[in-house]
Amino acid sequence: MNKNMTNKPEKKTDDRAGKMKLYSIGSVVLLIAIILLVNILFDRIFGKSLSFDFSDTAQNSVSQATVDYLDSLPADTHIRIVGLFSRPGNVSGTSYQYIIPLLDDYVRESDGKVTVEYVNPTENPSIIYQLDPNNSYDLSSKADSFVVEYNGKIRVISPIDCYMYDEQVYKYYGQYYITGNNTEFTFTNTMFNLTSDYSFKAYIVTGLKEEGNSYLTKILDSMAVETAELPVSANFVIPEDCDLLIINGPNSDISENMYVAMTDYLTGGGKMFVAVDYNLANVSEKYTRLNLLLNQMNINIDPVLISENDPAYQLGSSVDSTVMAADEFADYSNIKYLHSSYARNIRIIENYEAGLYTNPVLLTSQKASLVELDEQGNSVDSDINTENQYNVAACSSGYGNDPAKVYVFGTLNFSSDEYISSYGLSDSNVDFLKSCIRDLSSTKPMTGLNIATKQINNFSLDAQKSTTALSTVILIVFMIAIPVLLVAAAVIVYIKRKNL
Amino acid sequence: MYAIFKREFLSYFRSPVGYVAIAIFSFLSGFIFYTQFSEGLVNIGNEVITLRSFFVVIVPIITMGLLAEDKKRGTDILYYTTPVSLFSVVTGKVLAAFALFAIMFINVIIHIIVTICCGGMVGVGAIGTIIVFFFMALTFISIGLFASAITDNQIVSAIVSFIFILIFQILTVIAGYVATAVDSLLTTIGFSTESASAAGSAVKNAISWFDPFAKTQDFRLGVFSVSSLVYLVSLFVLFLYLTYRVLDKKRWSQA
Amino acid sequence: MIEINNLVKRYGDKTAVNDISFTVNDDEILGFLGPNGAGKSTTMNIITGYLSSTSGTVKVNGHDILEEPELAKKEIGYLPENPPLYNDMTVSEYLNFIFDLKCVPKERRKNQFDRIVSMVKITDVTGRLVGNLSKGYKQRVGIAQALVGDPSILILDEPTVGLDPNQIIEIRKLIKSLAKTHSIIISSHILPEIQEIADRVVIINKGKIAAIDTLNDLSRRLSGQSKLLMTFRGPVKECSAKVRAIQGVASSVPRITDSKINQLEIGIASDNTNEVRASIFFMMAKEGWPILEFRSLDPTLEEIFLNITSGKRRS
Repeated sequence: MNKNMTNKPEKKTDDRAGKMKLYSIGSVVLLIAIILLVNILFDRIFGKSLSFDFSDTAQNSVSQATVDYLDSLPADTHIRIVGLFSRPGNVSGTSYQYIIPLLDDYVRESDGKVTVEYVNPTENPSIIYQLDPNNSYDLSSKADSFVVEYNGKIRVISPIDCYMYDEQVYKYYGQYYITGNNTEFTFTNTMFNLTSDYSFKAYIVTGLKEEGNSYLTKILDSMAVETAELPVSANFVIPEDCDLLIINGPNSDISENMYVAMTDYLTGGGKMFVAVDYNLANVSEKYTRLNLLLNQMNINIDPVLISENDPAYQLGSSVDSTVMAADEFADYSNIKYLHSSYARNIRIIENYEAGLYTNPVLLTSQKASLVELDEQGNSVDSDINTENQYNVAACSSGYGNDPAKVYVFGTLNFSSDEYISSYGLSDSNVDFLKSCIRDLSSTKPMTGLNIATKQINNFSLDAQKSTTALSTVILIVFMIAIPVLLVAAAVIVYIKRKNL
Repeated sequence: MYAIFKREFLSYFRSPVGYVAIAIFSFLSGFIFYTQFSEGLVNIGNEVITLRSFFVVIVPIITMGLLAEDKKRGTDILYYTTPVSLFSVVTGKVLAAFALFAIMFINVIIHIIVTICCGGMVGVGAIGTIIVFFFMALTFISIGLFASAITDNQIVSAIVSFIFILIFQILTVIAGYVATAVDSLLTTIGFSTESASAAGSAVKNAISWFDPFAKTQDFRLGVFSVSSLVYLVSLFVLFLYLTYRVLDKKRWSQA
Repeated sequence: MIEINNLVKRYGDKTAVNDISFTVNDDEILGFLGPNGAGKSTTMNIITGYLSSTSGTVKVNGHDILEEPELAKKEIGYLPENPPLYNDMTVSEYLNFIFDLKCVPKERRKNQFDRIVSMVKITDVTGRLVGNLSKGYKQRVGIAQALVGDPSILILDEPTVGLDPNQIIEIRKLIKSLAKTHSIIISSHILPEIQEIADRVVIINKGKIAAIDTLNDLSRRLSGQSKLLMTFRGPVKECSAKVRAIQGVASSVPRITDSKINQLEIGIASDNTNEVRASIFFMMAKEGWPILEFRSLDPTLEEIFLNITSGKRRS
């Protein structure tokens, strides 16, 4: 660096030091420039190809099925994924730990077809209106969720949708014990549904009552279930694309040709959701044909009012009460005790028909009784007034691949506009209803994308070997013995060397 | 280089500093391992990541004396007047501190062996975090060495490197504050809310880009990204070269 | 051999070394003399490569210190003003570190180590901590450090400063013995020290070379500048006049220190100070004035420079 320096002692300015300074500063600036360039190069250009997923089950990389699907989309496709929260700096140990890195991989693999952003609605409230102008998804209450948007259609994915968890543990401890990672399954299939116009279509039978079904429609909408009305008519036909038939709060029985059509529908593996209650408008209605239909599924709607006699279950009166979800359905909502009123008894027919799997869904206490009313709503003396546990809702399904399945609710507290409008879309009853709908829709086979659940690393030790005694040994050796020995060595070395 | 490495490395063990540093590290790692073990769930990756957050304390202790002490004693003149090059002095010192880290890390290796013997899992994620641990140690040591080069006071050197490393550790938090500041500043001087928040998030992204912890967080999941290691190595090279320049400055400095 | 040409070192506006040129020949001891702050250490730091010069060249056995620093540095053993010692190492650990630093091949080490250690007489302290050694031993370890790697040139910056007289004598002996096989530059601000061991002297003041001389030339130059201080009992004025009358006495300044004891400072212009002293003695004896003290006053370096520069001007 000093090759070209000549002796010019007569020169007053300090040439050599100046040049060295220039060289020094220049080389640092040059180095910074090179480093920035290299980093930009690696970050922007090689970043994707030089990122390797060595994890045992490729937790954070999308599988070939997803890559193929993304490649098959037209180049101008734009799928927007919005996390309704600020991106956490450290995702480890949170429910996002497998989601956020995988979403980053979607972005990497999609050539701009998929974008991921994190917008916190409290900082940026306009995002909610922008994504969901009709507020049919109630996004403001989904602060931990992701929204997938395509062509104005959205789907909401909450973190727990992305995992498989041990339902036993959840049932007993109320904790999610994650056993599998379904993140890719959930996101890819959601995108697939959005882009391939896959839909799950529900028909709501209208004309059997006066009130509308607007809240039920909204709930179905938020679950990506397309809804249509199916009015009662003389030539009642159930459309081919019907995936779910809903009869919500009828005040009169179905007609003969409806019965025939629905019987055919159930025989062909149809899904039904039926909700009735016991009110003055239908107090004398026995739903003869509807029961004939449901009897094929081992269920009967009894024309009696359930009266709760256990004070612990009563909510103000004997007909406005708490009901308990049956064990099998306990995880359908965050609380096990739900709200029922003016419920009919949903009886499971005792001479069980083979090939059916019928279960109570909602149960009263052991001290409920049944009351028969006259048209004015006064109780009629009846010998069925014995205390027992009754069903407010029941579910029945056949066996095999894509069998018929029905949910029958004896109360309208889960589906009526009246109830939902006063308790809101976040009510536990609504959650419960959604779980039922999800159960009814889950058997529809996905066309195309088969994405495996990824096993999540299990860090637990062999309980036989990791005994408490060994744990104590570890405490003593690693936390006490080794540090103490080292400190002793320090003292010995210090003393020995001090006097050398 | 070997001469400097040997002297600095052995000097850790000629004084209590090395033993005490290892003892502290052993205690901390032992504590983390014991806590995990007693719960029956051992994730070595988590242990290593937790240990990484102690860099802010351990690195300054190890690096504070590397050059500051030489300058104070006047022994730095040896580096200038013997045939050894200044660059190899700098490299030798960094490697000595790095070797001490490697010695400390034996603790974790023992923990890994215990884990495997007890039927636990040491997966790719653990290997990923260990790789990041060493790259990050190298980077922070070079920062500590730089801090040690700019002063002849060990305490000042330790404080400077502590602050540097702390800044790196909380860079994302800082980015958030700066973004908010930019946002509100632009709003008050009359920019529209939209463009102000856009500028704010641009600033945030720009600053967060430098966060080595955020960059390497996917390693724990088994995703190895070369570009984030390149970033760490770049920081290492930069600070190493800066240190070299600071030493070299003494030759021609006019002050 | 070291060739130094037009060496300049500036710190901002201050010029520490101003256009110095001299040569050190093989196997000679060059004394580098100058008062504190004259630029001795700066010059030595430049020669050894510790500092870069503002301009000018330094060639060590033909290798430019800036262009071939590693080759040049191999030829030099340097003992800076503050010996670069690690107090937390033992002497042998320290010397082995220096062996590593100077890349001495393993097979030559043992031999060289023993030789150096016995040469500087630190054999019995090799296992001790440097920090626990006395100042003299530390200085020896510093010299040992400079000898590692068998450099042909030794540069010793004030090697005797801060030592007690016994230690000074031993260090000087050591340096003299080294001169047989090394070129040595030794700096000092004490003239007699240089006079005693150096073959040639470079005197610098305020960054400039005041004189380069062989020791003989220097003493010739310095002769005639001797001063004597005499304490006696007797009449001051009379004595002063009589002393002044003696051949070779340039001046005599009387001073009364005590009513009984008087002092006389006498400047001597003659080459032969001994002759003058004898004459004074006989004169005093003749007058019956007892001499209480008679000593020669060493000139301070400042005075020497004054004399050298004024002498130059005269010539």
